[in-house]
Amino acid sequence: MRILTFAISALLTVTAAGTAEAHAFLDHTEPRVGSTVPIAPRELVLSYTQNLEPAFSSVEVSDANGARVDLGKLSISASTMRVGLKPLAPGTYRVRWRVLSVDTHTTEGSFTFHVGQ
Amino acid sequence: MVRYIPLSFALASFIALASTSDALAHCFVGARFFPATLATDDPCVADEMSLPTVAWSQTADVPPASQWDLGVDVSKRITENFGVTISQDWTQIRQANGTVTQGFSNFETTFQYQILKDREHELAILAGVIVDWGHTGSTASGFATDYSLLTPTLYFGKGFGDLPDSFSWFRAFAVTGQVGYQVPTNSFDFTQNAFIPQQLVYGASLQYSMPYLKSEIVDLGLPDFFNHLIPIIEASLTTPVANNFGNPYTTTGTVNPGVIWVGSYFQVGLEAMIPINRESGTGVGVIGQLHLYLDDMFPTTVGQPLFGGSSAAPRKLTF
Repeated sequence: MRILTFAISALLTVTAAGTAEAHAFLDHTEPRVGSTVPIAPRELVLSYTQNLEPAFSSVEVSDANGARVDLGKLSISASTMRVGLKPLAPGTYRVRWRVLSVDTHTTEGSFTFHVGQ
Repeated sequence: MVRYIPLSFALASFIALASTSDALAHCFVGARFFPATLATDDPCVADEMSLPTVAWSQTADVPPASQWDLGVDVSKRITENFGVTISQDWTQIRQANGTVTQGFSNFETTFQYQILKDREHELAILAGVIVDWGHTGSTASGFATDYSLLTPTLYFGKGFGDLPDSFSWFRAFAVTGQVGYQVPTNSFDFTQNAFIPQQLVYGASLQYSMPYLKSEIVDLGLPDFFNHLIPIIEASLTTPVANNFGNPYTTTGTVNPGVIWVGSYFQVGLEAMIPINRESGTGVGVIGQLHLYLDDMFPTTVGQPLFGGSSAAPRKLTF
């Protein structure tokens, strides 16, 4: 019972103290994770479940040989991160991302998409 | 009871207001998120709370008695890699003849240290000691003992996301587990007139992460609800291994198939509890849990380790 009292006290104490934020999960991307697109995309768009800290978020796109194919300059607005892509030949491309949500939680991941039939 | 409230409130307030540091939080290891499991423990120190965990089952008695268990756990990081969990359970057993027995089990604390978090291989290892403090529960009702139990325990979690891409959907699987050796502080229970065995306490889970499937392998365009699910099967087992003279060395426990729904601030889990043998219970029980991610709910207060963190600006993130 002491534990219950403690737990409820903790919740009540902090409810008014902090703005709730959370880890930024990858919500959806364009091109989609694991998808095959017939036409090479000009940019990669990653949307997250939380707003991002632009200075501490990054993404890389590389081809099957490990060569960078993104243009490097990120555009981050709220929970969406965009990066331009070089002209992509048919093949498989790997995206590696790491972001910091506005409450300093870090998340990361990687996925592939395919260009061509 | 009343005299505990100011102390509890003061302690909670201290934890809520005293801490500042980076928040890495509950069980993320690279791209893998290990949810809090219901019958075993996840392999990370964290700031989290299970409020409540509710279970219903039928005992192994003949005829079986109906048993309700209500539990609360609060976990708090003291430093980035060291955490403490405090737990208390309340149990009610209703016999077939209507007789009801109820009470608290012993107060439990778990001290855990994060040995390893390997992001690339989605591997986490945790060491801990579980202490059931004797004479802190309802000893008269039989739900608590007047001796303590010490259980050094090793925990692990491993995601399969580091497998080659050719393994495709299989990469969303992960396993977690724990192995502990429980030693009582007394070797003989004079009230029960029986030896108190030393026991191996162990368990494991096999889980399939739909969030991982969607963000790392393939986005199937499923309704959002399904993208938050982690189907899971857990096993929680106990085997007497020493000081058990005159008694069978029978393993008892349950196998729990179920599912966990994972949100940004909390998760909800529901599992069936299937006894592995007649000594473990009668019929299928059920366990449910609401689990709160305190680090995400209160990232600048409760969700921080008490000591050893940094309030400095975060470093540039690199791959």
